[in-house]
Amino acid sequence: MATADVPHVSRVRATEASLRLAFQMFVADPQWLIPSMIAPVVFGLVAFELFQGAGPDFLTYAILGAGMMSMWGQTLYGSGWAIGQDREFGTLEPTVQSPTPYVYVVLGRVLWNVVSGLAGGGIVYLVVLAVAGAPPALPDPLGFVALFLFVMLTLAAVGILFSAAWVYTRYSGFIQNVGEFAFYVGTGCMFPVVILPFWTNPIALVFPPTWALDALRYLAIPGYVGFAWGFWPDLLGAVATTVVYVAVAGAIFRRVELHVLAKGNLSDY
Amino acid sequence: MLAHAGTYRTENRVSFWRTFWSNAVIAPRTTLGFMRIDFVLGTIFIIPLMQMVFFVFVVQVSGGGPSEIAFTALGNAVSTVTYSSIFSVCQTTDSEKQQGTMEHLLVSPANRLALYFGRGLLPILISLATVSVGIAYATFLFGVAIPLSAVPTLAVSVVLTAFAMVGFGLLLGGVALYLRTSIILGNIFLFIGLLLSGVNFPTSQLPPVVAWIGYGFPLTWGLAAIRASVAGDPWGTIGLLWGLVVASAIASFGCAIGLWEYFERRALATGSIAKF
Repeated sequence: MATADVPHVSRVRATEASLRLAFQMFVADPQWLIPSMIAPVVFGLVAFELFQGAGPDFLTYAILGAGMMSMWGQTLYGSGWAIGQDREFGTLEPTVQSPTPYVYVVLGRVLWNVVSGLAGGGIVYLVVLAVAGAPPALPDPLGFVALFLFVMLTLAAVGILFSAAWVYTRYSGFIQNVGEFAFYVGTGCMFPVVILPFWTNPIALVFPPTWALDALRYLAIPGYVGFAWGFWPDLLGAVATTVVYVAVAGAIFRRVELHVLAKGNLSDY
Repeated sequence: MLAHAGTYRTENRVSFWRTFWSNAVIAPRTTLGFMRIDFVLGTIFIIPLMQMVFFVFVVQVSGGGPSEIAFTALGNAVSTVTYSSIFSVCQTTDSEKQQGTMEHLLVSPANRLALYFGRGLLPILISLATVSVGIAYATFLFGVAIPLSAVPTLAVSVVLTAFAMVGFGLLLGGVALYLRTSIILGNIFLFIGLLLSGVNFPTSQLPPVVAWIGYGFPLTWGLAAIRASVAGDPWGTIGLLWGLVVASAIASFGCAIGLWEYFERRALATGSIAKF
């Protein structure tokens, strides 16, 4: 009866407001960029040192891998915190009770994490570039940028799913801290997934960034040997898995909202 | 009155060992409370494996052979000691502040040395377990050959490294006392060893200035001692490296105590250190 009287709430506006608030909170306490950036910068430099003399394209490997790890770190930690922060601050129920679907509030936070992860990736790029002395040769710079942005979108999809799933587990900290390297290995941040044992490949392909990163390497590194199916199926797989992630995340969010309204106990921390 | 004060002091004096053990037993439930059993098991069994797999594959992709892979595997097996020794120990300062117990700690008459050593006991044990499991992975999965004759010196090197690294963690915890949070410091020193301590490539490949910075970390000397033990180097070489590890441990523990005393005085004077 009351729903008709509820003023229309723009989802885009809600997402923008959430993004803006996430940015302001980040500015107030910007330390979270550093943890997600220090490791990738170090890994980028280590990879650069190890890759030296292994051919010109390995600079691309090092930069791409370290940048990817930066964005992964931000997704894993930042997006994982997207709902956790509401639980800890005690704002979960009030936010869920508001007319705006909760998923759009979280989407704004996840988008900010993607942007800050990109900033971290940019810093990684600059550091490795400063050490290498020259930028990597890219056959198709525009295509690279477009696909890189798409990789970010796939990470955002993972972030949304993680943030939803973390509500139902007390092991998010464990997964974030202990599983960090497993995600880097499993999605082939610094090397092609195909060099891992075959049984790991199906697990790796569950994650959209695996597909997208493989496609990105096909585009950026001449002679790259990744999944045998090549660039376009990689891209298709990335789009498909991203859609599945978003759909599953949406379903979980609906369940979370219903659960909160029915039980009112999700902020128990 | 004087006699009364003296009696009072004597009655409330807690022995060194009691402080040590109570901290060793209670810290895992309080300041180290974030290290639940699943987290500890993950630190011992999963993180070393994943970190080693990651860097071994990087070496493989870059065209490295079995010797390079073995070098990297052993280096990363040892470097995982930083998770429990540096990050968790450093984090205890944050825990004290967050739980609101820092003020009470700063005004307590507890022996500081016993207090810090007691808190370091669990991280030392976890560090030993982490490095041991890491070395087992390096041996059985990545082809690092360890002769049986090298095991005693290797064991001594591992124990000394774990002690030295926990000392370094306490030192950072002392610095973190003055910071708003230790997370940045912990992260920096969690990973910087991978670059500066000869974990993935010899320190001789680094620019001299950067290499000298690396020599300031106990991990550099601990790792060198472990590599020398595995390689079956002469006693003189290993003994010298042990001496350097011990020196870095003493320096770390000493600086940690010094820092805590300094910041304690500041805290009592200004009342602002315990703010989170």
